Amino acid sequence: MKREIEVLQCLKEKFGAEGYVRRDRRVFITVDAEKVKEAILLLKNKGYEHLSAISVTDWIKDGEFEITYHLWSYESKILVTLKTRIKRDKAIIESISDIWGGNARTHEREMHELFGVEFLGNDDLVPLFLEDWDGPPPFRKDFDWRAYVREKFYSMDNERERSYYD
Amino acid sequence: MGKKKSKEAKMMKKLIKAIWVFNWFNSCGFAELVPVVGSRWDMERFGMIVVGNPRHADVLFIAGYQTFKSIRRAQRIYAQMPEPKVVIALGSCTMTGGMYWDSYNTIKRLEDYLPVAMYIPGCPPRPEAVFEACAKIFKHVEEME
Amino acid sequence: MINVFERLNDGKYTIYFGPAHPGSGNFGVKLEVDGECVISARADPGFLHRGFEKLMEYRIPIQNAVLSDRICILESLAWNLVHAEAVDELMGIDVPERARYIRVVLAELSRIQSHLIWFGVISAGTGFDTGFKIAFGLRDYILDIFEMVTGGRVYPAGYICPGGVRRDFPRGAKERIMRVISKICVDEDTTVLEKLENKVLKDRLEGVGVLSAREAIKLGATGPVLRGSGIKADVRRDDPYEVYECFEFEIPTMNEGDAYARYCVGIEEIKESAKIVRQALKMMPDGDYIAPQFRKPKLHVKIPEGEVYVRNEVARGEGCVYMVSDGGDKPYRVKIRGPSFLHMIPVLEHLLCGAEIADVPAIYWSLNVCPADMDR
Repeated sequence: MKREIEVLQCLKEKFGAEGYVRRDRRVFITVDAEKVKEAILLLKNKGYEHLSAISVTDWIKDGEFEITYHLWSYESKILVTLKTRIKRDKAIIESISDIWGGNARTHEREMHELFGVEFLGNDDLVPLFLEDWDGPPPFRKDFDWRAYVREKFYSMDNERERSYYD
Repeated sequence: MGKKKSKEAKMMKKLIKAIWVFNWFNSCGFAELVPVVGSRWDMERFGMIVVGNPRHADVLFIAGYQTFKSIRRAQRIYAQMPEPKVVIALGSCTMTGGMYWDSYNTIKRLEDYLPVAMYIPGCPPRPEAVFEACAKIFKHVEEME
Repeated sequence: MINVFERLNDGKYTIYFGPAHPGSGNFGVKLEVDGECVISARADPGFLHRGFEKLMEYRIPIQNAVLSDRICILESLAWNLVHAEAVDELMGIDVPERARYIRVVLAELSRIQSHLIWFGVISAGTGFDTGFKIAFGLRDYILDIFEMVTGGRVYPAGYICPGGVRRDFPRGAKERIMRVISKICVDEDTTVLEKLENKVLKDRLEGVGVLSAREAIKLGATGPVLRGSGIKADVRRDDPYEVYECFEFEIPTMNEGDAYARYCVGIEEIKESAKIVRQALKMMPDGDYIAPQFRKPKLHVKIPEGEVYVRNEVARGEGCVYMVSDGGDKPYRVKIRGPSFLHMIPVLEHLLCGAEIADVPAIYWSLNVCPADMDR
C-alpha cells in the first residue's frame, strides 16, 4: 500500500489532484482537464508506460463527461486510473496521441465515435466501427436504444414483437 | 453389396456434385461451424466442403447476428454466388435479433435482407443441428430435380 | 533490347484482406501494395459491433453474466470471469474458496482451448491442414468438459456468475479433466502440438512480423504478443486475481519478437496452463461453490456506488472491465478492454507495413486475434 500512497501524494502535490487507493495496486486520481496531459507525461516518465484503456463515462445529471485513462506500470505494478471531467456541451480535450502514438490514437478514435468527444491534436478521428451512421453518438446516455430500436425495427402490430413494448 | 440400395445411397447417387459451402461467420458461427469442418464432426463425409470463394459455393452459411456493416457484404457475397444457391441461417440472432434485440447496430430479421431457405435455431446451434440441416439440404436437392 | 519488365512492375494498387476469412470472424484490412510489398495497411473493424458496453447498462448483473460470454466467443469462460470479478469487487462479495478454484480451472481450460484454436488457424493460414484438424479435434475434448460442467459447449451461459459459480463440479469431472489434459500434454514438457512441428510451418513464421519490445509496450500489446517480444509480464503473476498466487507456473518468453516466437510462447503457455489445472484440481478444497446470499438468485440487488478496474489475463492478453455504479441495480457504465482491440488495429497496421503479401496471413494469425472482443 505504501507505493500506492506515494503516487497519490506525488500527484496531489504537483497538480492538486484528489484521489483514493481502492485496494492493493489500484489508485484512482482526479485531476483538472487542463493538467491531465502533464500528469500523464509525469506518470509515463515514472514508469507507467502501458496505456491499458481510455474510457468515457457520461454523467448526464451533472452535464459532464468523465474521461478516464488507465495506466499500468510494469515496474511498480500499480494501476493508476486518472480521471478528469469536461463539460458535456463543450466536449473537447487535448489528445495524448503524441505520447503514445497508435495506441492512444485508436482509443481516442473509438471514444470520439461512441461519445462524440473531440480530441484536439488527434488527426485520425474517422469512424471506426460504424458505416453511414447519422444518429447521435450512440453511447451517450440521452440516446435511448430501446426507444430507437422499437421505432426502427419492431412494430406493435406484430404479435411476436409485442413483448418488446412492455 | 446387397440387392437393395439404402435410401441414402440412392439420394447420394442423384447428387451431381458435392455441396460446397461458403461460411460468412460473425463470431459464434466460427466457434461451432469450424469444429464441424474439423476432424471430430467432419462434414466432408456428407459430401460437403468449405470453400474460400463465394463464386464456387452452392450454400451460404450466415452464422449469427449481422450488423449493418456486415449484412452489406453478405448481400454482395450472395450476389456473387452462382445459381442455384441456398442461404442457411444459424442461430437465434438471425431470426429475431436474439439476445441483441435492443442493440442499435444489428439487424433483427435476416429474411428482410436475404432469401433464407432454412433456419437452424440455437445459441449457438450444436454440430448435430448443423448436420440435420445438411441432411435437409440433400433432401432439398432431391426435390429440386 | 525491349524492356517489358519495367512496364509490368510500375503499379501501386490496393487489395482487401478480409472481411471474410476462413479462420476468424469478420475483419478487414486494406493494404496499399507496391508489387509484392505492403506499403501501408489500414484496419477496417466494426463488422461485429453490437455495443456490449451499453447493452450491459440496460441489464442487471445476472443478465450481464450471460451477455459477457459473447464478448469473445473463443474464450467465453474467461470473459465470464472478468465480468463476475468486477461485480464481486463492486459489491464486496466474499467468494468461497472452492468457487475460486473452480473458476481458475475453467479459465485455464478455456485458455488451452483458445490456444488450440490459435494453433489451428495458424496452421490453416499457412497451409498446414493436418495441424488444423488435429487442433480442432483436441479442442472438442475440452468442449465436452465444458458441456459436462457448465451445460453449454461454447457458451456457458453465465456459469461463472457474481458470487461464485452456478453449479458444483459434477461427479467424475476431475478425473475426466485429468484425462483430457494428459491427452493434450503427453507428459510434463511435451504437447501433441510440438510433435506436429515441421519445417514448412517454421519457415513461414520465422523472421516474419518482428515486433520490438519498445514498440510492443508503446502500442499496448499484451499477453503472448508482448511475451513473444521478450517482456516478462503476465497479469496472473503481476496483478494476481482469484487464487493464482498459490500456483507454481512459469511465464514463457521469447526474445525474437517474430511470428514464430509468438507461436512458441503460445505452445509453452498450453503446458503452463496444464500445470495450473493439475495443481488446482489437487488443491481444490471442499465447501460452498457460491456465496450464500447468491444461492437463490435475487433479481434486483443494489450495486453499491463506486468504480472498479478489473484486469485478467485472458488467452489473448489483458482483458479488463471498468465498471462504474451509481447505486442502482444496473451498472452505470461498463468499459470492456479487449486485448485484440490494440493487437488488431495499431499493432497489426505497424507489423504489416513493409511485409510481403504472402506473409500477411502469417502475421495476422500469429497475433492470436479475435474480432469479437475488438468490436464488442
